[in-house]
Amino acid sequence: MNKRLLTLTLTAIALGALSSANAEWMQKGGEFEKAIDLKPDIENGRDIFEVCAACHLTEGWGKKDGTFPQLAGQHKEVLIKQLSDIRAKNRDNPTMYPFALPESIGDAQALADVVGYIEKLPMNPDNGKGKWEKETPEYEQGKKLFEENCVKCHGKNGEGDAKKFYPKIQGQHYEYMLRQFKWIEAGKRRNANPDMMKQIKNFSDKDQEMVINYASRIPVPKEDLAPSKDWTNPDFD
Amino acid sequence: MNYRNAMMTTLVLTLLAGGQMAAAGDGAALYKEKTCVACHGPDGKKPLLPVYPKLAGQNKAYMAQQMKDIKSGARANGQTAAMKGIMHLVSDDDIEALADYLSKVKP
Repeated sequence: MNKRLLTLTLTAIALGALSSANAEWMQKGGEFEKAIDLKPDIENGRDIFEVCAACHLTEGWGKKDGTFPQLAGQHKEVLIKQLSDIRAKNRDNPTMYPFALPESIGDAQALADVVGYIEKLPMNPDNGKGKWEKETPEYEQGKKLFEENCVKCHGKNGEGDAKKFYPKIQGQHYEYMLRQFKWIEAGKRRNANPDMMKQIKNFSDKDQEMVINYASRIPVPKEDLAPSKDWTNPDFD
Repeated sequence: MNYRNAMMTTLVLTLLAGGQMAAAGDGAALYKEKTCVACHGPDGKKPLLPVYPKLAGQNKAYMAQQMKDIKSGARANGQTAAMKGIMHLVSDDDIEALADYLSKVKP
């Protein structure tokens, strides 16, 4: 090996090490590993959820305009991982950060409790959707992009994969997903899955809108939905 | 004053009074709806963290200016990163109503 090749190889190794240090998708030994195995106290979870409900609503539906995501229906594993990532400063989310702190919601057991409660909430039958109706060319193109790029991890119907911490995206608000997509692409979210960053790096702005438009319009199974969009959570009457 | 003028005056006065009542009432509703309550606590009296300000009884003009500056990004220090993310939810009128409501809450 000549000197130049050696330098190149060393640089490549160094860059590789650097990028894996930055890519904190799966922080080993994180709090979430502990919280996932704890048995939730649902009643305590309900009390903790009062803090969350100020923004995510007592139904856990978030805001249709996408300011706050829908939490109802999300996999327990995903919620626990994201909560612990936010409080470990592994995911940048300044608006959410204060609420994830141990002094606001409690320890690993509290994470398990509140997520145990959220897991029982039915989903919003009227999530925020993109502007392109079924059968428009943009909807169809979004569908194609979704099938080519997203189903491998998020599933055919955007159901995600709890064991792998892949979020459910069906029923999520369009504007929220679009914002996260852009943050993932730009590296702003920091705990993004590096496979996803690679997968979406050639998406144009229009591609992003079309694929998220499709995702926001994937029907949610009836048994996961609340009976109507006017349903209110009786635990907070 | 003829009948028609009297009607108009009554109408205008009613609208003015109604408008004012709505604004004052709206402040309290907006305070919850726009999620201010999540960080600043019920009636702006009990913030979630000690680094957040109490708002009850604060000067109206001061609060309105801070809200506008945080929204525009002119003020970006301290804890404002937490608040910036939601400021697209409030219009200038909302800001006035919120500042008005909070300034009138007894600390």
